[in-house]
Amino acid sequence: MKGTYLGEFEELVLLAVGILFDDAYGLALVDELERKTERPIMMSAVHKVLVRLEDKGYLKSRMGGATQVRGGRDKRLYTLTAAGKKVLSQSRDLRNSMWKEVPKVVWEAGAL
Amino acid sequence: MKQNKHPNDGPPRWAVRFFRWYCNDYLSEAALGDFMELYDRRRSSLGKRKADLLFIGNVLAFLQPFALRKKRPSYALNEIAMFENYFKIAWRTMARQKMYTGITVGGLALGLATCLVIFLYIRHELSFDKGYTHGARLYRMYNDFRGPDAARWTSLPPMVAQIMKTDYPEVEKAGRLIPQKWQQAGSNLFRREDQVENLYEEGFVYADNELLDILEIPFVSGSRETALVKPNSIVLSKRMADKYFPGEDAIGKTVILNEHKTTPYVIGGVMADFPADSHLHYDFVLTLTGVEFWPGEQTSWCCWNYDTYVRLKPGADPAALEEKLPAIRDNYLMGYLEKSGDQSAADIKLHHFLGLQPVKNIHLNPEKVEDELRHGDMRYVWLFGGIAVFILLLACINFINLSTAKSANRAKEVGLRKVVGSVRGYLIRQFLTESLVYSIVSFVFGVLIVALVMPFFNSLSGTELSMPWRSVWFAPLLGVAALVIGIFAGLYPAFYLSSFKPAEVLKGSVSKGSKSSGLRSALVVFQFATSIVLIIGTFIIYKQMNFILHTKIGFDKDQVVMIQGTNTLRKQQETFKEELLQLSEVEDVTLTDYLPVTGTNRDQNTFWKEGKTREDKGVSGQFWFVDADYIHTLGMKVVEGRDFDKRLASDSLAVVINQAMVKNLGLKKHIGERITNGNTVYTVIGVVENFNFESMKGAIRPVCFTLAKGGSIAAVKVNSRNMADALASLTNVWSKFMPHQPFRYSFLDESYARMYEDVSRTGKILTCFAALAIVVACLGLFALSSFMVEQRGKEISIRLVMGATTGSIFQLLTGNFVKLVLIALVVAAPLSWYLTQRWLEDYTYKISVTWDVFAVAGVISVLIALITVSYQSIRAALANPANRLRSE
Repeated sequence: MKGTYLGEFEELVLLAVGILFDDAYGLALVDELERKTERPIMMSAVHKVLVRLEDKGYLKSRMGGATQVRGGRDKRLYTLTAAGKKVLSQSRDLRNSMWKEVPKVVWEAGAL
Repeated sequence: MKQNKHPNDGPPRWAVRFFRWYCNDYLSEAALGDFMELYDRRRSSLGKRKADLLFIGNVLAFLQPFALRKKRPSYALNEIAMFENYFKIAWRTMARQKMYTGITVGGLALGLATCLVIFLYIRHELSFDKGYTHGARLYRMYNDFRGPDAARWTSLPPMVAQIMKTDYPEVEKAGRLIPQKWQQAGSNLFRREDQVENLYEEGFVYADNELLDILEIPFVSGSRETALVKPNSIVLSKRMADKYFPGEDAIGKTVILNEHKTTPYVIGGVMADFPADSHLHYDFVLTLTGVEFWPGEQTSWCCWNYDTYVRLKPGADPAALEEKLPAIRDNYLMGYLEKSGDQSAADIKLHHFLGLQPVKNIHLNPEKVEDELRHGDMRYVWLFGGIAVFILLLACINFINLSTAKSANRAKEVGLRKVVGSVRGYLIRQFLTESLVYSIVSFVFGVLIVALVMPFFNSLSGTELSMPWRSVWFAPLLGVAALVIGIFAGLYPAFYLSSFKPAEVLKGSVSKGSKSSGLRSALVVFQFATSIVLIIGTFIIYKQMNFILHTKIGFDKDQVVMIQGTNTLRKQQETFKEELLQLSEVEDVTLTDYLPVTGTNRDQNTFWKEGKTREDKGVSGQFWFVDADYIHTLGMKVVEGRDFDKRLASDSLAVVINQAMVKNLGLKKHIGERITNGNTVYTVIGVVENFNFESMKGAIRPVCFTLAKGGSIAAVKVNSRNMADALASLTNVWSKFMPHQPFRYSFLDESYARMYEDVSRTGKILTCFAALAIVVACLGLFALSSFMVEQRGKEISIRLVMGATTGSIFQLLTGNFVKLVLIALVVAAPLSWYLTQRWLEDYTYKISVTWDVFAVAGVISVLIALITVSYQSIRAALANPANRLRSE
């Protein structure tokens, strides 16, 4: 496994799980990510990342919430674990601290 | 999976099924739900066709390792616990039913032990001469006569080895060997020069120095390159060097053979003892350097006495070389034959070829080259291998039969396990674990049995087998074999037992073990058919053996003592003979080198009618030098003419011939005809009845006796009942003449029997196997019968109460088994008839396979089966029915 390193897509999926809170399952996550990123998202890619994140211990899952349109099948509902929350905040802290170090002049200078 | 009411409503069902098939359980439910939801959405917006295609796309996109991989958190612990339970249950089942366990394990252990012994035997047979570094380039030359009397033999004229080296660039080395009993090859009296006592030693052979190198004989001391280079040098084996020169360096020491003090031998080196898997086994190698057995012998083409070995150069093609070998015949041999006017020259030119036999083939001898060695036989390797497989099968069948028969006892367990959530796979695993436990326990016992019976088997088969524990592969091989056999034997029972439907079993409606009785019967028939084939085979071999040993063989082999080494008496031979005749126990004495048993001299000559040497094709026959007492001492029957007469001087040019000679030469008048061997003309004065002097595998060949004086064996016909006394008197006479030489003797009938040692050995081994097969089959039958009695206990009790007699109950219980054995007999009879016929084809003089053998084998097997089954049946029939019926 890759340790605590979090890929970009992995981070997005984790955040999406957080957003959807109690109804974070495969298709809902696909919808959410498509809406936010405005790019087509493969269902298999999402499931793959979910499996991997669960293996890493950032997510946990349970079965539930069957509906008629699903042919009576349960959803696998994901929630963030403590480790998942921690890794997300670490990731944000890293970005913030790096943001802070970028001199203002970079932002203020116009494009060449 | 829920069935959709409108099949056309949902996505393509094959895609769903496919997804469920490949996807792991962890994901499949949730992912498929997602697919369906998405599909539902798409169908309303995009239409069914597109939605279908996209659905298929989804399914295919999921075909990735993460979806295939089995995800089993915390499963491993559970697994171990399960296996612990399997072992516990297996142990309890075994402990609960001690008799069945004993029979299964005992039978399997016996079968495995047999297999192991046979495996070691076959491995030994196949291991001969595999150890040479240059083994692939090592060949022994042989003559290949492809004419009407086709034959292959090894001895070649002395020059051939040299010619191979000079004329054929492919040949790296060539060396000669004289292995047959000839001159001083064979056995001799042997002593150190500085000691007086002679000892009789065997295993002498003549060889070129180069042969030591060709055969890569390792040397303990001295150099292989020079050990036999000097004339009159000798190489001893380590064993013999230790015997005669303990603690000394043997090299350079002088030894005397047969009291020839004028030609002592000097030890040139000590070689390691020949390994058991070498085709050659010698203790004394005499040099051929400077040897000429008579003037001109080394360059002559008359006499063929040398086995020739060659090592080819790397990359040389033996087949291509063989093609070129007839040049030796044309350039050298033909010249000699034409000069001597041999009538067979044309024949030889046409039919005589030389061949190269790879040394690694010599033991099993697929080329069927005749030589003096003891060979293995590929057919016996196959035969014993087949027997091993069959006996193992019998043992496995016991396991299968018993576990399916006892299925009723396990049915409830299976039902209950299924009810509490075990799937079939787990149950199969459980029963396979159980059969593995059986197999491993049996292996342990099997190996113990082998360790115990190994010495016995070795003495029986004349081998020196041992378990190769030191080899790296042996223990793992046993382990793998235990696994394979455990799984093989357990497979059918595992599937059978795990197939019970819980509802039926728990309701109690599974008929008690009678379900697969058809299969069980078939297996019992198979077991007994195998046993009967082995019994019949054993019978036939023993009958043939008996026939060989006790049939009229043309001479009287009983009560004849052969005193060996009388040639060392030199001029005293006749006096020795006279003294022997003085003894009251001695009836007749003859001095000769030639006797009708192997291990004595043979002299192949070609005979013609007088004056026909250039017209007729000669008749090859044995030319034996005997004295005037030979024919009556050996009890041969003169059917025409007369025996030799000492008093007639003219008898020195007379011969007595056997009937085969008369027939092959086409003599009309028989007595008084004159025949020649090319050198001298002899007059036929008598004809003796044909007698066997070779193995009975071939027809009796022509023999011609002529008078000579002396020989290395005194054959003494003893009239005394008390052989020990007679031998004591003979020893006395011998020591009077030869105080420093051991008195060596053997019995003619024993030597004769030794010619058929291989047959008798095969017979003994086969008896053991037949007995084993029967024991294994009977163990199974015994267990089956006791099981049946157990199952039908109530029925029997009720029958008894209703007035059935003990006899009728016995009949009821045994009838079925006897029927099975009879069917087995019907199956086995034609098969064994065919097999024994094939075996007997080897013999010219043989018994005919008659029906009584089959009848006896049938009666024996039925009796054995009946006795086996009876114990339980009689017990059941005599039991008090009240005891059984009361219990419910």
